[in-house]
Amino acid sequence: MSDDPKISQRYRELPREEPPRALDDAILAASRRAVQSRPAPLVAPTGRRRWYVPVAAAAVITLAVAVTLHIQHDRPSEEIDAVAPAMKVQETPAPKATEPARAERRAPQPFAAAPSAPAPAAAPAASPAAEAEPRGDIGAASSGVRASRDERVRAQAQVARTAMEQGPEVILERIAELRKQGRHGEADKALAEFRKRYPDYRLTDEMRAKVEKK
Amino acid sequence: MEAPDELLMLAYRDGDAGAFETLYARHRGALYRFVLRSLKDRSDAEELFQEAWIRVIEARERYAPSARFKTWLYTIAHNLLVDHWRRKGLTLVELNDDEHASPDNPAHQVEARETAARFLQALEALPPAQREAFLLHEEGEMSVAEIAAATGTNEEAAKSRLRYAMTKLKAAVDE
Repeated sequence: MSDDPKISQRYRELPREEPPRALDDAILAASRRAVQSRPAPLVAPTGRRRWYVPVAAAAVITLAVAVTLHIQHDRPSEEIDAVAPAMKVQETPAPKATEPARAERRAPQPFAAAPSAPAPAAAPAASPAAEAEPRGDIGAASSGVRASRDERVRAQAQVARTAMEQGPEVILERIAELRKQGRHGEADKALAEFRKRYPDYRLTDEMRAKVEKK
Repeated sequence: MEAPDELLMLAYRDGDAGAFETLYARHRGALYRFVLRSLKDRSDAEELFQEAWIRVIEARERYAPSARFKTWLYTIAHNLLVDHWRRKGLTLVELNDDEHASPDNPAHQVEARETAARFLQALEALPPAQREAFLLHEEGEMSVAEIAAATGTNEEAAKSRLRYAMTKLKAAVDE
């Protein structure tokens, strides 16, 4: 390519404008906030950042316990009602740890209290081994409800995981499908999310016509 | 020796906020002028400039140095511009003469202003793709291959756009 120095010179003579200070500050503040709240890296870091791993592990464990308790706490009342009379008839000595856990579950308690002190004691009551024990009709009814709930949770997680693993083309096809169905609000949100996720993805004209609002 | 952009971006990805500051300081002026001269409205330009950097920040976890950082950065800006053009159309920012008055003698000032105005007019009159190629070349200091990569076109098209832009601007300067 033949550069013309005269053109460059003319261009360089134009005012060399710079972004305003406030804009610089806003962008740099956003960049700092982002690294302060960043998730743990996939590869274990070395050196001074080694403490990330135990902190992340502790956070994951706390979250897992909190979610388990939350699920227990939010169990539908019919399920508990169905279990309660049967418990009376059967009068089987339940493991001691489960009783306070059930009583606790029935007591009105704010959600915020769930991950606090009693959490570790209640956790074993929900252990998979306890759930798997055969308990006649009661066990069947309750584990049936639980199984369907678990299935639902697993299905939701699978959908989320699939969405994460999808390539940009698959996501775009879905956005196009939403547009076709006239669900423009959802399509707009999905497209905005897509652009954040793939900022340098170049849409073809054909795809752009499909995913953008006309 | 200065750290390459790509290493700075990797350092930022791994949590080094200072690396981003260096990277930002290195590219802020050129990217700002690139965006500013591609759009008519200054506030639109500032918004788009900020959005481009926010996209960089948000995409840091997925950043892999498969291309030059600068090409990646300008590709993001290009995509945002394309979206903007589609929504609003394109004209160039009018520079405020009073803000940029030079301390030279009045006759020279008038001549310089006229030359600058003519040049800006010619730049403004360029078709968007040609203007973009020219701005990427001047502000981004990009080669034809890099312009092609940043704008999602082939090298022949990028070369042709740049050549047309240069020819038209040269005609304006020689007037």
